[in-house]
Amino acid sequence: MAARILSVVKLATKVTIAGGAVYVVYDSGLLGSSEQGAVALEKAKAAIPPAVDEWMKYFGVEAQLPTVPKMEFAPLEAWNSGVRWTISALSEAPTKASDYTYQGIQYIKDLTK
Amino acid sequence: MSEKELGKKWDRCLADAAVKLGTGLGLGIVFSVIFFKRHTWPISLGSGAGLGMAYANCQNDLRSHYMLRKNEKVSICF
Repeated sequence: MAARILSVVKLATKVTIAGGAVYVVYDSGLLGSSEQGAVALEKAKAAIPPAVDEWMKYFGVEAQLPTVPKMEFAPLEAWNSGVRWTISALSEAPTKASDYTYQGIQYIKDLTK
Repeated sequence: MSEKELGKKWDRCLADAAVKLGTGLGLGIVFSVIFFKRHTWPISLGSGAGLGMAYANCQNDLRSHYMLRKNEKVSICF
């Protein structure tokens, strides 16, 4: 009798925890549209440093978290400039190759004189 | 769609994918530990479902620019 009640209580606890997790996730908009997801990510990023500080103080560790370096890197700009650079290099390659070959031949001729 | 708008949409897509992957992973871990005796499959299922939801959201977001809405007027030029 007691064992059965215990197993029911265990099941109820498990269902409560799992259901609570699903509800929290749904309520905070993590499973919604792109805008909600992006907003949730920004909130999480903003909330991490104070939370980490709190935990550090709690454990008595006075270590300073290294600040994440601010990246001024725009992938789109880098890609576009990379494409332009590649194509211009390819278009100049034959001219440059012949120049360098000519210079090389001149150099060897000078050496053999 | 201007490049700026497209860039913002991609940013939103990536952020959303990260959030949904994390959420799916988390929920998968919770369910795996609580109900499924620490098997791996709920975790894989959760992460996969999260990624799938993010993909669908991204697809809708990128297509929404070209969708006609009910009250919008479209001009036809010859």
